[in-house]
Amino acid sequence: MFSTLDISTSALVAQRTRVTAIASNIANVSTTHNEAGEAEPFQPRFVVFEADNSIQGPGGAPGVKVASVEISNVEPNWKFQPGHPDAIKQGPRAGYVAYPNVDMTTEFVDALEATRAYEANVGVIEVTKNLTQQSLKIIA
Amino acid sequence: MTRITNFSLPITPATAPAIAPPAMKPQESGGSSFKSMLVDSIQQVNSMQVDANKAVESLFTGGSANPAEVLTAVQKADLAFRTMMQVRNKLVQAYQEVKDIRI
Repeated sequence: MFSTLDISTSALVAQRTRVTAIASNIANVSTTHNEAGEAEPFQPRFVVFEADNSIQGPGGAPGVKVASVEISNVEPNWKFQPGHPDAIKQGPRAGYVAYPNVDMTTEFVDALEATRAYEANVGVIEVTKNLTQQSLKIIA
Repeated sequence: MTRITNFSLPITPATAPAIAPPAMKPQESGGSSFKSMLVDSIQQVNSMQVDANKAVESLFTGGSANPAEVLTAVQKADLAFRTMMQVRNKLVQAYQEVKDIRI
């Protein structure tokens, strides 16, 4: 009876993880070096979902879970800033600083999509709730 | 009067006769008596409420609980409790009907 609720909740958790990844990307939009202090731009994260068979409704309808949080390997944005501590010292790109290639527009569209998906799943929970309460009227 | 016997149909197992035989022997074997069914379902509802309580406590004391999961646990406990109450109301109603039979 409650597996529908569990399936919808798994989607809520998954979409929230996606929003967290987007928040991390936007927070690190100007991060030019890593924890060790080496000049390495932040690479955007993205979340991969997969069907979760451990949460199963009658008939085998699975829930969803986060398979992994992947690190994208896009080329960084190069900016010429010779005075920057993370600027490249020598070579053809001397004086350039590698900035994370986080596209704000894409991130916000993704965030909107995740939010709408979240809302949709809350809507399904509402429907399930109403169905259960309506069924109780049979016996009342 | 046929109405009253119909009440017990979905609740009691098909093997149990609607009118108890004169021997009045309680069902001891099998373990699927009506009483144990009732106690089991109450315990299930209770364990759901205990889970919901734990989840809420974990959420409000800064635990790693996800709000969506906590609220779903609460909602599940609520729905289970409402279902149990409806069954209980129906049982009491059936009992009242039988009690009001004049002899």
